[in-house]
Amino acid sequence: MINLQPYTNPRYFLIILVALLPLIIGLYFGKRFKIYEAIFSLVFLFLMFDGKDTIQGWQLIAYVIFQFIITFAYQRYRQAGKNKTWVFCLAVILAILPLTTVKIAAVVPTQVASLIGFMGVSYLTFKTVEVIMELRDGTIKKVDPITYARFLLFYPTLSSGPIDRYRRFKADCDKAPEREEYLDQLRLGTRYIFQGFLYKFIIGYVFGTIWLPQVAHAAQVLGNANGGLKISWALVAYMYCYSMYLFFDFAGYSLFAVGTSYFMGIKTPMNFNKPFISKNIKDFWNRWHMTLSFWFRDFIFMRFTFFAMKKKLIKNRIRISQVAYLVDFLIMGFWHGLTWFYIVYGIYHALAIIINDIWLRFKKKHQKQIPHNKFTQALAIFLTFNVVCFSFLIFSGFLDTLWFH
Amino acid sequence: MSNKRKLWQIFGPVICAFVLLGILFLVPWHFSGKSDSALFKASVSRSNNIFKGQEIKKAAFAKEYVPFYGSSELSRMDPMHPSVLAYKYKRDYKPFLLGGPGSQSLTHFFGMQGTSQELTDKKAVMIISPQWFTKEGQNSAAFSMYFSQLQAVDWILSAKNSEATRYAAKRLLTMPAGTADESTKSALQTLAAGKQISGQTRLLLETRQRILENEDDLFSSLNMPNNVPQIQSGAHKLPGTYAYDNLRQIALDQGAEHTTNNPFDISNSFYTHRLGEKEVARLKGSQKNFDYTKSPEYGDLELVLDQFASQHTNVLFIIPPVNSKWAKYTGLSEKMYQEATNKIVKQLSSQGFDNIVNLTKDGNKKYFMEDTIHLGWNGWLTVDQYVQPFMKQKNQPITYHMDNYYFSKAWANKTNVGPTKVSASKSN
Repeated sequence: MINLQPYTNPRYFLIILVALLPLIIGLYFGKRFKIYEAIFSLVFLFLMFDGKDTIQGWQLIAYVIFQFIITFAYQRYRQAGKNKTWVFCLAVILAILPLTTVKIAAVVPTQVASLIGFMGVSYLTFKTVEVIMELRDGTIKKVDPITYARFLLFYPTLSSGPIDRYRRFKADCDKAPEREEYLDQLRLGTRYIFQGFLYKFIIGYVFGTIWLPQVAHAAQVLGNANGGLKISWALVAYMYCYSMYLFFDFAGYSLFAVGTSYFMGIKTPMNFNKPFISKNIKDFWNRWHMTLSFWFRDFIFMRFTFFAMKKKLIKNRIRISQVAYLVDFLIMGFWHGLTWFYIVYGIYHALAIIINDIWLRFKKKHQKQIPHNKFTQALAIFLTFNVVCFSFLIFSGFLDTLWFH
Repeated sequence: MSNKRKLWQIFGPVICAFVLLGILFLVPWHFSGKSDSALFKASVSRSNNIFKGQEIKKAAFAKEYVPFYGSSELSRMDPMHPSVLAYKYKRDYKPFLLGGPGSQSLTHFFGMQGTSQELTDKKAVMIISPQWFTKEGQNSAAFSMYFSQLQAVDWILSAKNSEATRYAAKRLLTMPAGTADESTKSALQTLAAGKQISGQTRLLLETRQRILENEDDLFSSLNMPNNVPQIQSGAHKLPGTYAYDNLRQIALDQGAEHTTNNPFDISNSFYTHRLGEKEVARLKGSQKNFDYTKSPEYGDLELVLDQFASQHTNVLFIIPPVNSKWAKYTGLSEKMYQEATNKIVKQLSSQGFDNIVNLTKDGNKKYFMEDTIHLGWNGWLTVDQYVQPFMKQKNQPITYHMDNYYFSKAWANKTNVGPTKVSASKSN
């Protein structure tokens, strides 16, 4: 059985390019062949979830049906003019229930539990929760079932994002872009895919496949020799090597997903914007895995802040934002997985951003005394880079292997 | 700017890239000759990429290099290691080390594909470890580290319908690495069923072969581990002229110097890093039930022998012992070890492979082993006493009498095989 996992090797791109050709020609001539697009998506989804992954495929189908029921039931309730908070909460809880199950199953050490989950469940959940929240706000008045299915199952971004928004996607997917605009999308799409080749298949490969195992081995051996916390220079090397691998691998993947979307005339948002030149942690989260951090900003951070202010849970505005950061990053940590290092990663970033806020306020107050020049800017970038790389060392789980296994 | 022009500007470079890539991979280049220093570096690198490829092996075997097939003992590069001795005393042969942890007969059989022309009527050395002959035989994860599509395609294209071919195809189909590629898998199924692959499949595989060869030629020597300094530092410890007694003294001194932290005469670094006190305590008596007498490895070994026979290669086989002190501690049965050795020797000698160096009773000699199961100082020096006269023999085609019985389950599970008296000649 042929099983095609997206973007795994150069041959895949030839296959997908040939399959997309009719769609591309159609879009160039101002027509969007929606039926062809649907067939394309179904065939490639089938190839992604067949063979050894069939069990995942069935879960995907069940998941989509389940989410449809929740979303459209909630839409009906909203269209009836009702807006009870508990109904909204129930809808959200139900929507994240499958993901919660998957995350819990991942840490249950049984045969059956290891079968629960399918590729893309995390990213689909962002989309469904977004739609429910926007139905509550009234920013989405009506969800169209077909558009919703296309939005959820949009093939290029299904497995790992970037996370698009319903209203943005809807605006793109019904029409064909102007020729001028589409040519521009083809140009950018081609560039992104080739940039992705460089990132994922060359740079990411060197850092992740060639160097990382060597550095990991050295860190294990030297760590065992040193004892205690098993810290060694090789561990420092591991930290940087892993950070580079993480960025180039994921940014490469994201470029593939965005590039392929552009070919299909959908302007999926970008995920990365030179994250390693960030001046501070806040800046970093505006440049790193942007669609994720913006989702958290809009649907966790802001909501919590408004909620806390409305209910007067906390009087002090500064304190509110600090708690909101903690909630925001803790949830992000839990979303990554229920292990200590993801949760510590979340708390670490929350603390980093809180400290950063304190510093920025302090700096504003003492603007005259604190110098601001090229050197301080370089220092800021250097500091941020190292704080971030250390967080990725936690995130990598290597410390877990080193200390506890 | 017209739209046509814009389209060309977007896709022109992409098309050019694909055309160039096609030229790079589909033209039979045989890129520049390999320099002597590059070959030497490759010969002692024990690199998996070199093992998987063929261009460098071909170039080396066409010259004075002799393949030394083996497994992890090849990495014990002390001053008496075959590569060090050949380098120091400027012998007219140079060992080309092939193998590492987990490489066994099946691995070597596929690794030999592509070099049969270069090895026809030539010599080879093979170190067969009885440890390979476990109940499971070749470990599939280790196999995948040494296996490449190039080996598979080479073999499929040259395979003729025979017991050996059907056996090899079936065996490869049990390995995840062998079935990972759909077109290889279906060709293997055809061969396993005793059928011929179709002309269309052949054409497809030949194109693949060309691409894989160019890939091998371009990339296999990249990122190769450099063990030359280690060889040189070993050679540095040797006297200018070869005298067995002197070398033996050095081997004993080196052995004594490097085995001070444990009662097993295991090298200090191996004892500290690979074993450790906790592990040693755990391993006491742990090998009581090890049995090397029944194993699919015997059939796999027959594949290797069949390959040698088809090349008329003159092979020196070396069967190393285990460290006696360690064997006693772990409870490994000496009787079983000898039975397995008898079976290996019988399989070799009955088919005409008479150059056998059976060292399995030397595990108690001082500093014969570098650690638990790997030859070291004195062991390597003893090996050299057989390698030297073997290399002096004239190259001539040898005819073997192969017997398909050795592919059978009956042989794989046969016990109580008596000893056979054969031995390679030894220098005095």
